[in-house]
Amino acid sequence: MSNAIIEVNHLEKKFGENTVLKDIHFCVEKGEVVSVIGSSGSGKSTLLRCINLLEIPTSGEILFHGENILKQAQLSSYRTKVGMVFQQFNLFNHMTVLENCMVGQTRVLKRNPKEAEEIAKNYLRKVGMIAYIHAYPRQISGGQKQRVAIARALAMEPEVLLFDEPTSALDPEMVGEVLNVMRDLAHSGLTMVVVTHEMAFARDVSSKVVFMDQGVIAEEGHPDIIFNQPKNERTRQFLTRILHQQ
Amino acid sequence: MLLLAANRNFFEWVSFFLQNYGSRFLQGALVTLEVSLIGTVIGFIIGLIVGYLRSIPDNPMSSLWKRVILKIGKMISTIYVEVFRGTPMIVQSMIIYYGSTELFGFEMAAFEAAILIVSINTGAYLTEIVRGGIESIDHGQLEAALCVGMTYRQAMLHIILPQAIRHILPALGNEFVINIKDTAVLNVITVNELFLASKTISATHYRYYEVFTITCVIYFIMTFTVTRILRWIEKKMDGRSSFELYHDDLGGALHE
Ligand SMILES: Nc1ncnc2c1ncn2[C@@H]1O[C@H](COP(=O)(O)OP(=O)(O)OP(=O)(O)O)[C@@H](O)[C@H]1O
Ligand SMILES: [Mg+2]
Repeated sequence: MSNAIIEVNHLEKKFGENTVLKDIHFCVEKGEVVSVIGSSGSGKSTLLRCINLLEIPTSGEILFHGENILKQAQLSSYRTKVGMVFQQFNLFNHMTVLENCMVGQTRVLKRNPKEAEEIAKNYLRKVGMIAYIHAYPRQISGGQKQRVAIARALAMEPEVLLFDEPTSALDPEMVGEVLNVMRDLAHSGLTMVVVTHEMAFARDVSSKVVFMDQGVIAEEGHPDIIFNQPKNERTRQFLTRILHQQ
Repeated sequence: MLLLAANRNFFEWVSFFLQNYGSRFLQGALVTLEVSLIGTVIGFIIGLIVGYLRSIPDNPMSSLWKRVILKIGKMISTIYVEVFRGTPMIVQSMIIYYGSTELFGFEMAAFEAAILIVSINTGAYLTEIVRGGIESIDHGQLEAALCVGMTYRQAMLHIILPQAIRHILPALGNEFVINIKDTAVLNVITVNELFLASKTISATHYRYYEVFTITCVIYFIMTFTVTRILRWIEKKMDGRSSFELYHDDLGGALHE
């Protein structure tokens, strides 16, 4: 067996009559940083949301260390191992930065509050948000919120972290601080799947790039290959268009 | 100085009633407050439970019998909400108070019946308000809670409901004020609240206008005071607008 953490086979997702994902095969190995790129509506978010079962796939299987998670009821413990960072941050607004990073640990992992606090502080330090632990989400900027959201996910000590366009809702001057945190995480060996429109990140940081088009994975491979000699005509068109914009 | 009844003017009547029946008014007002406060609190608990139940999404991954039970529960809750919101509380009172004797053969004390009626009635209104409160919290926070491994119940309990409750606090206070006024209808089941007390006092002396002016003022004082207190609590709950920067002992070391 391979050392894949997540393996997706024959995944299909329909919303009513609309087939959004078609026969997807997708694999994430330990330590990999996978960037998922593609135009709007191609199904990137839906793929991530299927992986942590925010959407229930119509058919196909999702293996976590070889076990089909659609067939077993351990949803909660699976989700603690597959973290998620959202485009809209989704911090818990009634909690401080510190509490945001503790509540999952104490309620789900049943860590005691002292330990949870130490772990939370540790990751908040990592993302440069330690000074703000007593702030509420409404009191900090978008970039800071996203760094807290990353720390919140890290505090669960997941095996894989999924990012859905983590910088798309940010003002341009805040994109850098979040990307820097993500770059550090990638270099520290964290396994990551990142849906992104940041082509520089996809090219320079990821170990694999997946290009999605109209619900299928049109092409995937090493970033050098995808960016410099894409085989698929649609990949070429997409890259020309998006690199032209940036 | 004892004036002849027929010669008293409005103010003399008012002072007469206050002096002779002050404690009766007070007792009536206390019963009104008690019934409406307890009824609102229990109604709120009912509203939370039923509102939560109605918010649970149908999960195609859970077992069939769980889904069927949920569906039936939701149907019953819909009937409950519609029936109690769609009929007058005064009619519900008659049915529940007298019905409990005739159908089930046990006699309910008027006071307990009153609390039961107000609770169930308030619960029906608050169910919809709680559901609205839950829906007012953006869906992303629920998803984020699920993504750290919380169950739907945990996410509701620790993340969504605390915020939803803060949002519906004004509506909850409003419901309390409405109850203070609407418990007047409970006089039909002989609960000795402010309205029935006033009716009794006025009937004794055939003076309605004067007595109910006093009653009116007492109702207003109650609703006005409660409204102010609730405003104050809401303000308190909004909390501080600033925060203190945390000075990290390890912070310096990291930058070396
Ligand atoms: N809950 C839903 N119900 C119905 N259709 C949906 C739903 N979610 C997504 N879709 C549809 O699925 C398709 C893929 O959406 P998805 O959000 O996965 O695209 P995306 O690649 O993430 O796009 P973007 O770059 O804009 O975020 C779109 O056509 C969208 O309209
Ligand atoms: Mg998307």
